[in-house]
Formats: sequence, structure tokens, C-alpha cells
Amino acid sequence: MAVAELSCHGLCSSSATNGNNHGSSFLSSKLYRSSSFLPSHLHGSQFQPRQRHHPLKLVCSTAPNQAQQQSQTAQVAVSPSVNGKPKSDSSQCYGVFCLTYDLKAEDETRSWKKMINVAVSGAAGMISNHLLFKLASGEVFGYDQPIALRLLGSEKSFEALEGVAMELEDSLYPLLREVSIGIDPYEVFKDAEWALLIGAKPRGPGMERADLLDINGQIFAEQGKALNAVASRNVKVIVVGNPCNTNALICLKNAPNIPARNFHALTRLDENRAKCQLALKAGVFYDKVSNVTIWGNHSTTQVPDFLNAKIHGLPVTKVITDMKWLKEEFTEKVQKRGGVLIKKWGRSSAASTAVSIVDAIRSLVTPTPEGDWFSTGVYTSGNPYGIAEGIVFSMPCRSKGDGDYELVEDVIIDDYLRQRIKKSEEELLAEKRCVAHLTGEGIAYCDLPEDTMLPGEQ
Amino acid sequence: MAVAEFLYSACSITATASTDRHCSSSSFLPSKAYRLLKYHPPGLQLTSSPRRQQAFKLVCSAAPQQVEAPAPAASAAVSPSLNGKPKLESSECYGVFCLHYDFKTDGETRAWKKLIKVAVSGAAGMISNHLLFKIASGEVFGQDQPVALRLLGSERSFRALEGVAMELEDSLFPLLREVSVGIDPYEVFKDAEWALLIGAKPRGPGMERGDLLDINGKIFAKQGRALNAVASRNVKVIVVGNPCNTNTLICLKNAPNIPAKNFHALTRLDENRAKCQLALKAGVFYDKVSNMTIWGNHSTTQVPDFLNARILGLPVKEVITDTQWLEHEFTQKVQKRGGELIKKWGRSSAASTAVSIVDAIRSLVFPTPEGDWFSSAVYTNGNPYGIADDIVFSMPCRSKGNGDYELVEDVIIDDFLRQRIKKSEAELLAEKKCVAHLTGDIFRFKKCNLNGNGYCDLPGDTMLPGEQ
Repeated sequence: MAVAELSCHGLCSSSATNGNNHGSSFLSSKLYRSSSFLPSHLHGSQFQPRQRHHPLKLVCSTAPNQAQQQSQTAQVAVSPSVNGKPKSDSSQCYGVFCLTYDLKAEDETRSWKKMINVAVSGAAGMISNHLLFKLASGEVFGYDQPIALRLLGSEKSFEALEGVAMELEDSLYPLLREVSIGIDPYEVFKDAEWALLIGAKPRGPGMERADLLDINGQIFAEQGKALNAVASRNVKVIVVGNPCNTNALICLKNAPNIPARNFHALTRLDENRAKCQLALKAGVFYDKVSNVTIWGNHSTTQVPDFLNAKIHGLPVTKVITDMKWLKEEFTEKVQKRGGVLIKKWGRSSAASTAVSIVDAIRSLVTPTPEGDWFSTGVYTSGNPYGIAEGIVFSMPCRSKGDGDYELVEDVIIDDYLRQRIKKSEEELLAEKRCVAHLTGEGIAYCDLPEDTMLPGEQ
Repeated sequence: MAVAEFLYSACSITATASTDRHCSSSSFLPSKAYRLLKYHPPGLQLTSSPRRQQAFKLVCSAAPQQVEAPAPAASAAVSPSLNGKPKLESSECYGVFCLHYDFKTDGETRAWKKLIKVAVSGAAGMISNHLLFKIASGEVFGQDQPVALRLLGSERSFRALEGVAMELEDSLFPLLREVSVGIDPYEVFKDAEWALLIGAKPRGPGMERGDLLDINGKIFAKQGRALNAVASRNVKVIVVGNPCNTNTLICLKNAPNIPAKNFHALTRLDENRAKCQLALKAGVFYDKVSNMTIWGNHSTTQVPDFLNARILGLPVKEVITDTQWLEHEFTQKVQKRGGELIKKWGRSSAASTAVSIVDAIRSLVFPTPEGDWFSSAVYTNGNPYGIADDIVFSMPCRSKGNGDYELVEDVIIDDFLRQRIKKSEAELLAEKKCVAHLTGDIFRFKKCNLNGNGYCDLPGDTMLPGEQ
């Protein structure tokens, strides 16, 4: 009984907004946050996709039984009968994560940083199934950084999203303090400091590349608008869903209030694969390979750069003298890795993709080692390489670990590299023209030469 | 060229054991000894008796081009045409991991501990797909502990195993220094200091529990014999494949040279789920729940112990006063969690299972926090609770972080708990009788059924929902 009484007096009535209460008891303050939610099977004519009410309703506990009932209510909010008439807000905190804590009141957590909100789309998919647990464990942002996960799914995947939240609950990660799930980006992206956009529509049978660009573009246009409306003003966005460069471009074009430089398309998996192939060829362990750049589009026009790469600090061309291999087979091996994996075990490379997303985030939140750099697809405005402006192109970057980055100036680009960079640039300009209707740049015109999707990706 | 010349002089010295990594090369490059284990590709004729020869052949590099050649051979060893006639050894180092390193010469790795070998069975499955990456990242054994992964699959899953090794390659974890894949436990378990036995045969349609015990028991009997023959003498074994308690018993019975107390059946997932349910009921965050014991079998007779559990240091019964819920719904909620998950997303709980395996390992390699304990199903000989000897029963344990543990003496067992513990004990004794033919106990039992198996008198199917 003592537990319940302390928590109620003075706490519940005063602070009904956010969770930063100053409970004077040794117990953390307890505010239940249950937002009502529209279960998937109630959709039909009642579902309105984009209402941006304030859905958060705070419920206070007054006795253990009621405490238990509330938490049960939070859980059974899934079943419509308890909730009465359905609301259209679609973001719901989950289970044990519907409690808010005053981290300052506890010895263990007092030195922790302020909690950050990390939004993840495609959160019920295979890549997320690896990534979310890494995020929750502290491996990504550090062991003093509590996080709130905000998971975006679809009507079809909502039950699976609940399954993910349940598994996260069962994993008991101390740093994971909030989990919310929903299907409306305007809810899920609220105050997000990081947005990992993994979800995308896979290619259907007979679908042309232009159709794929269009269908996915619409998803990313909406997500860009949502980020623009509700996310943190300095949100970092990493786009994984393919075609990721153009999706990232569409996203940033629809989010004019967020700095364009904050948007990334994931090319880190290609960089990691390239390092592995160089290591194999040179007969060294992969931790000896550095300065590997992937230039261009995450497609078959990508350019793994052996000219500027290093092994043991030496230029690769001095360690691997087989120029034919470097010029012809190296790129192929990197590109076809995904396809080889699919053949080996019938599944796409969810685990290593999740690892590369972790690497990409860590490259922005920890200072880049001296002399090294990392690859990421970013907005080309102001680039020193002569690449066309206004597209999202993978280039070499360094970071001070503050979430920002700068392009690396001291790279050599010879004719061979220049020619291949140009080819990828042309492809991205063609893709951009093809989605002009989604970037607000006029009428779309699609003239895409061929399908350049990497093997092994949807 | 300078690079190649150094390597050549280094190689002529060391041509014996594969574990000798201390080529005393004075260059800043690590010494490189290639270890090629002959591999038996699936589809070719397999004989059933494993050969345990020295399979290591060292190949040295003499020039950059030659440096490059052996590495593709390691991956091309997959295609039988390059290898000539097939050999029977079936464990192969993979790709970039076929290189050896002298950690002492490398500035970054000098402070690292000695490499440990971790063997994993069922390595191509979903749980492993999560677990292997956690092990490789350093999350499990620490950021100064390099690991060698030895992955055991089957003929059917061999290609998938290669896919796993490729993804591990692409993940560039510095602590992951070796990856070997194979289908013969006598190869894969060689010198293993940890063996995580995840693989098991799922239940087929219409299969009785007795049959399931028998089929899986045979797998674990063989793995026990292999561990006994080739693993480290102090190997720690964690059995995940179900029915895990009895599989563990069979395994340890077939490994008489390895201390029985080294064998564990995984009940940590149940413990984690129980903590979560208590937290939900009490309205606290889950990090406030401690001293949570799971007693018994990893089945529907498991006993989540609310009597000794604590929330914020207080006995649970003082925080959650709803005794009806504690005595009836609590256990059900813990047990049915897996089934609920299957309903939610059609997949079993691979991710959280992998997390619980990490927790189970960490509980043995890091000291248990003062006053707390963890659950693990271990051999009951010498237990202070009055539980029957010679079975594998989940009980509360503490560890100094040296891989070993001791049972916790200061727990209360009231009538309610005692009665439920007895039920799980009875089940495990019945399972044990049923697999007597696999534990070498066959002659102690008078009743055998016709095909020479043990005597199976298992009351009902007690498999937890949501598990195969």
C-alpha cells in the first residue's frame, strides 16, 4: 500500500504533461501514459489517416489494484471493447513502457544523459528485428544514453509490431525506457531526434523501376512531411528502404524546415562489404582496411573506390597489384554479395544490414578516427568534387561525433574514378527527373536506362 | 614486395600446430598462417564414423599474388572439383577468418585476453542469427576478449551456414578472429571452451512427447560424446534445444570426463519473462525486479517463484497483494508468453531468446550483484533443497564470474512452492526414465518397451506453447 500512496499525492495532479517529475520518494514517479489507439480490424470507413490530435491521456494510479488495472488497461487498449468508440490516433505506448521515470532520482541512472527519441519505420521487419535490440542494448548510442523507441508499422504489420514490443519487454534492457508503436508517422515521429527509415515497398512482379520509384517515393514524401511537421528540428534521418538515395532526396525535399545535410542514404553496408573483399584479396584481417569510399547511388552504378583506400595505412594499389581485379572484379564482388547471400540461405542480409546501420549511426555520434573517413549518401550541395548539386550521392565524410559531418577534401579522383562517378551521377539525375512530382520540381519525366537494383535486395 | 618477403621468412618457421600463432616476425604486420581444414561438401558420400585426424595444413604466402591465392581456395574449397577426392573432415574455416594473427605485435590488440573458442550448434537457425552477432560484437564476453566461433550445422543447412559466415565477415567485428563451419561435432567442438547447443529437431505432426525426447536425445547423446572427446576439459555447455532439461541430462551423461555442473539448460528466458510480468503487475520498471527464480523443467511444470522474488528490494508479496493473481495467473502468463508471441507475429521469439542466452552467459562470466541471483537448470547432485539427485532442474545460482556457480541456500520454500516443485521433479524423473537408453541407465530399469527404448510414462504434453 505504501507504494501506491506515495506515488499519488502531489504528483498526479500537478504534472500532466511530460515525464520529468521530481518525486521526493525513493520510488520513481509514476505517470501512466496511455494513448488510445485504433486497432487494425476496426478500419473501414471510420479510419482517417491523418488526424493530429494530442492523443496522450495521462492516467494516475491511486491504489495497487488500480495501478494494476491501469497497466492492464494500457495493455488491453488493444481490444476495442474496453476503449469504447475508436479514436483515430494511432500511437500507443506499450505495456511496461507506459511508465515514465524520473531518472534523476535514482543512483544508477543519475549520470545518464537526457533521453533521446529514436523513430524506426518498417519496425516489424527483419532488419528492425536485429536493429531494435542493438539500439536498446546501448551498443549504438552508449551505455549512459537512455532511449525511447517509436516504432512505425502499417495496418498489416500492427500485430507484428506488438510482438516486437513484447520481445523488447522480455529483454529487460535498462536503457530502453519507452516504446511506442503506431501506424501514423505524424504520431510516431513526434520529437524524434533520429529517424531510421527502413520500411519500403518491395518490388512486385513485372514492376518497372519507374513504378518502384513512384510507389516508394510517395511513402517517403509523406514521411518527409511528417518529419517536417513534428520531428525535432535537428533530426538525423537515415534512409535504408530502397531505392534509398532517391527516397532520401524525396524525403528531404518534403522537409524544408530540416537541414538537408541531416539526411543520409545508407551505403555503409557496401563500404563494409568492400573492406571485406579487399581484406580477402590482400590476405589481411579486415580491421587493417581503411579509407574505403563508396561513391554514388546504392545500385549497380555504385563505385567502390580502391584508389583512395588504404591497407595498413598504405595505398591499396601498392598492396594489391592486380589492377585488373581491382578495376573489374572488385566492384562486382561488392555488388553481388547480397545476391550470393540470397543464394546461400534464401534470406536477405538482415543481420549485416543492421550492423551497418549501427556503424552509420556510430560514425556520426563518435569522432572519426584520425586520418580515416566513412561513406554515406548525402546531399551534394556545396561538394568539392564537381558532382552535380541537388542529389543524394554517397561520398567520403568525417565527423566530430556531434551528429554532423563534413565532406573529405583530400581525395584523388583519376579518370577512371571520374568516369564511373559520372555514370552514377547521371543515373541519380535521371531518377530525380522521374520523381519530380514528388519533390515539387515540376512534371516527372522517366527515362531510366535499365534496372540497376542491387541483386539480393527487394 | 617488402610485404611479401617478410611473410615468407615468417612462414618457414611455423609449420606445425595451427594454434601456434607466435611467428616471431619483427615486422608490424601480423604473422599469417593459413589454416585450411579439409571440407566435405554436402551431396557427396558421408560415412558415419567421424575421423579425428590432424586436419591442419599451413600454406605460406611468398608474394602478393600468392598471398591472394590461398584465400580464394578457402572459399572455393566449397566446390568439390577443386579439392579432388572428398575427405571426411567437415570443419572449414571461412574466408577472411582463415588467417591467424599474432595479437601481441599489434598495438590495439596487445591488451586483449587469450582467444576463446565458442561452439554453437543450430548455427544456421534464427536464434543463432541474432546470437552470433552479439557474441562477435563483444557484448557477451567483454570488449577485450577475442572470440573464435565454431559453427555446427547439418548437411541440409550447410549452405545457410556459409551465408552466416559471410554476413559475419561483412560485419567487420574486430574481436571476431576465427569462424569455422562444419557438420561434424567432433571437428567443430575441438578445444571449445563454450558450447551453445541451440539446434534440435522440431516436433513433427503427430509426434508424441516420448518420440520427441528420443529423437532429440540421440542428437544430444552424440554431442555429449563429441564434447567428451575433443572439447576443453572445463567446457561450459548451455543447452537451448528443447526439451532442454532432459537433453542436457543426456548430454552430460555422455560426457563423463566433463564436470556435470558445467552443463546448463536455458531457463533464463522464463526468468526474464517472469520479471517483466511482475513489473507490469506492480507498475514498476523491470529493472526493479530481482531474485527471480524459475524452478524445475522448461515446460508447463515450470515454477516461477514469487515467494523469494523482490521488487525494489522488498518481497514481492508485500508489493503485489493480489495473491490470487500470484498463485494462478502469474505462472500462466509467463508460460503462455511464447504462444502469444507466435500469435502476434507468426515467428517464435528468436530475438529475446538470444538476449536471454547472452544474459545466461554473462551471469557466469561476471560476478552476480550482491544479494541477487539468477536461474539456470543445472545438475541437482548435492542440492540443499531436497530435490531428487541426478536430474537437471532449474534453481537459483550465484557466480563469482569465473564460469562456475553455487546454488543459493537462503531461499524459503513454503508448501505451495514445495508442491509445485515436486510436480516438476516428478516430470523430470519420468522423462529421465524415458531416455534411459541414452543415458546409459537402461539396465537399472526393469521395464523396457519392445524396441529397447527406455520406459515412457509421460502424463501429458508439457511443451511450452510457442516452442517447437
